[in-house]
Amino acid sequence: MPQKNHYAFVIDVARCIDCRACLVACSVENNVPLKHTRIWVHDQGIQGDWPNLSRTFIPYNCMHCDNPPCTEVCVSGATYKDPVSGLVLVDQEACIGCGYCVEACPYGVRYIDQARGVVDKCNACAQRLEIGLEPACVATCVGKSRMFGDLNDPNSEVSVALRNASSIVRLDYEQGRTDTDPNIYYLNLPQTDSIHSSDTFGQVAQASLPRDPHYTVSEEGWKKVAIPLMAAAMGGAFLVQAIFFIKQLVEGEKEFDE
Amino acid sequence: MPKTEITRRNFLKLSGAAASAFAVGQFIPPPVARAARAVGSLDANGSGYISTMCEMCVWRCGVRAKVVEERVVKLEGNSEHPHSHGRLCARGQSGLMNTYDPDRVLTPLIRVGKRGEGKFRPAPWTEALDLVAENMLKIKNTYGPEAMVFSSTHNLSQPQFENLLYGFGSPNYGTQRSLCFNAMIVANLITYGMEEPARDYGQLQYLILTGRNLTEAISTSETTDLMDAISRGAKVVYIDPRFTKTAAKASEWCPIRPGTDLAFHLALINVIIAEKLYNQSFIEQYTLGFDQLASAVAGYTPEWAASLTGADAEVIRRIGREFASAAPYALAHNGWRTSNFINSFPTERAITILNALVGNWGVTMFPSGGEGGGGLGSPPQPAYPRVSAQRLDGVPWKYPFVPLKIGVFQQLRDSIVEGQPYEAHGWFISRQNPVLSLPDRQKTLEAFSKMDFIVTVDILMNDTGWFSDVVLPEASYLERFDPLVPLGERIFIRQPVIEPQGDARSALWIYKELGNRLGLGDFFQYTDEEDYLRQQLAPLNIALDELRLRGYIELPSNGETNNYQWSTPSGKIELFSAALEGQNFDPIPVWQEPPQPKGGEFYLLTGKVGQHTQFGTQNNLLLHKYEDVPRLWMAPDAAQNLGLKDWDLVEVTSQIGSVQVALQVTSAIRSDCVYLTPGFGHLSMGLRTAYGVGASDSQLHISYADPISGGQALSQTFVSVKKA
Repeated sequence: MPQKNHYAFVIDVARCIDCRACLVACSVENNVPLKHTRIWVHDQGIQGDWPNLSRTFIPYNCMHCDNPPCTEVCVSGATYKDPVSGLVLVDQEACIGCGYCVEACPYGVRYIDQARGVVDKCNACAQRLEIGLEPACVATCVGKSRMFGDLNDPNSEVSVALRNASSIVRLDYEQGRTDTDPNIYYLNLPQTDSIHSSDTFGQVAQASLPRDPHYTVSEEGWKKVAIPLMAAAMGGAFLVQAIFFIKQLVEGEKEFDE
Repeated sequence: MPKTEITRRNFLKLSGAAASAFAVGQFIPPPVARAARAVGSLDANGSGYISTMCEMCVWRCGVRAKVVEERVVKLEGNSEHPHSHGRLCARGQSGLMNTYDPDRVLTPLIRVGKRGEGKFRPAPWTEALDLVAENMLKIKNTYGPEAMVFSSTHNLSQPQFENLLYGFGSPNYGTQRSLCFNAMIVANLITYGMEEPARDYGQLQYLILTGRNLTEAISTSETTDLMDAISRGAKVVYIDPRFTKTAAKASEWCPIRPGTDLAFHLALINVIIAEKLYNQSFIEQYTLGFDQLASAVAGYTPEWAASLTGADAEVIRRIGREFASAAPYALAHNGWRTSNFINSFPTERAITILNALVGNWGVTMFPSGGEGGGGLGSPPQPAYPRVSAQRLDGVPWKYPFVPLKIGVFQQLRDSIVEGQPYEAHGWFISRQNPVLSLPDRQKTLEAFSKMDFIVTVDILMNDTGWFSDVVLPEASYLERFDPLVPLGERIFIRQPVIEPQGDARSALWIYKELGNRLGLGDFFQYTDEEDYLRQQLAPLNIALDELRLRGYIELPSNGETNNYQWSTPSGKIELFSAALEGQNFDPIPVWQEPPQPKGGEFYLLTGKVGQHTQFGTQNNLLLHKYEDVPRLWMAPDAAQNLGLKDWDLVEVTSQIGSVQVALQVTSAIRSDCVYLTPGFGHLSMGLRTAYGVGASDSQLHISYADPISGGQALSQTFVSVKKA
């Protein structure tokens, strides 16, 4: 049976101002512990030569993949792709906290909540969707960068945005012959040094989307540590970047039915 | 019947329910929940949404607070509020953590140790208020009422704060404004006769932002409007020595030399006049002094400005032409925190003139009525006692153009230190943290040391409370009413969504209780907060409950207003100001070169980040979670010259002090500048989250006031940097 809904995020990168309202809104809405986060804004850093500089912010969270690597490794069946909404969800009653899914996720968007002994991640605020509200991050997005909706509905904001887009980028991850088929669609993602074309997968580009170490500091906080030590640790952490393959879809190559 | 297993979880649920039933006293909900149920905001379980207004900054977004069993669990933007359009920024989203801050001061505190030692004992309200009143009266009787200084960051309960200080008989009123936007306010008053005209981005095609970092110094609706305009294809020219997040979104970034914004704008005016690109009919009909302006700016060519600003003459010329050709769909934004150099007032004047020349009035700029009016009433009160003493902040005797309610705060502090023209002995501070906000922290502490008595009203033990004798715990914005204020055609309400934590009380209650003890009861003729609001609404025949449920009411329309009258002496937009000339100031902006750093020194820049407001939010755990580590920005070549690396601990030294902070080497700043985010480097150990984080620029900033607007020149401090 086909999915009733095909929920997806569409993120207009040109409109993200890295204000982090989405991050705080998510933390409050979902009671995310202070030392964890469910969503991130990746900062590409200052690019270019003075004074022709640029800087891009890329919001991300669980991509609610159509082929999620996390569900395959889940030994308890807690992590599943919801057959109705298409969202990738965690049944925390069933989760045993083994952490295999955390390792399997190529986007690094899952964490183990040590206090509860379960895995947690973005659930697209399913509790809000049920009562007709947008996810907290989308509802409060000051730059109107984040959109969310049903791609099965041709009139949804996300369908319309994709239809009108001049370029659409997804951060696909290819392993073996399988593609994650993520459900975050990026608009206006600039072609920068860290996102370049490759010929291995049609129009494939390469991008870095690290787990941003700044947002996963320990609950104790970095300020308790002596500054030089902290500096060394943070500097090191910034080097930890995973490389993923992204597939750039040009207009007309839509993977959804209108 | 299935056997019921009492698991630990179920047991906890049961005992929790029993405990809360007991706590609310035989199921009678506390007053806030009772009222919210009565108007229909909350259901029988005490859950639902209550409309109110944010106070995480001064923009006042409309909020819908989600309450579950009398606890606020989430804040949403109110889609019907023109300042939020349903969205809240990071600070707005984090607001409930201010209320639930584990460091909240929940009972009045009376100092027992030395000042600044942080030793206080909790006290009942009666004792604390009696002590405050006793000390205030002692100062009044010994030195006169003017020896008592009052300061507060502008907020909705300001009318009652003003009653307290003017009823007491003191002229000494400090606000935060001279540390922020005096230059802009006074320039707008001179040119347009209003503090700040409204802006409209609906049809905007061309925007010049002079240091208005709208994506980091966020005013929610305006920031969204900007992003909408950019998305539509509007061109944005952004002038700033830093490549901020706004620069990243702008079409063109002009990192001109700090202090030369005036030269840049004078040259734009020069181009528009020399090439006759102005709106002649608008100028003839609505402005005064065009001919004088034209001859005054004749020498300010783009080539002249290029040598000062470092921008190409052709770029300046092109921007001038583009701006004029986009008019009337063009706007030169007057900025917000505009106090950068002692020439900031003429800079702001030049911006107001640039707008007037292209006739964008009624298209991108509109009249703004400020906070008065709306037909609201107020409780009756007697006339204020006559005050004969001069104000310590030099208004108006030294600063004739600065409005009394705005003042020159740093001058107030300096006069206290100097004891001139007279000595002050007491300081009443509300919702303000001058120990961190005023430049030259040591001098502020010196002023404190001259005080017989200091009392601070706040929700937290901020740095100022830390050095006070009494701290009075205020209810947070989610726990109290504030007086109503009209916004356009509507009146929105700030109302409590939960009971105050601990013994915290609203400002309206605190000021009234204190007023009664000071013999000023006639200035506070309301029984409680709701009564105050009812008296405000009485002339409009509107029931408070109606307002409580919807969060706002529509005001009856005033009919057609004339948008083309200005409250200036001439009734026109004054390009030339006879009033300025009458006080021996330049009637038309004239180039003035502000001081420059000596060799080896840097401009010390300040600014904003989207995750904090000024000096009051750094203890918020949710904002702390997502804030950047506050470091000193320095350009790569400057760092290399000094042998400094990213994350080095550096010592930053100005003429008056030095701080140590980690270095951030970034190409997002000019080589002759360094930048430090303000609001860090707290002294109060009562702020357990914020204490020990970063450094405070108030330890480095030298006090300079722009001679016309009194604005503190916040970028005019120069520093040297070396490895610590």
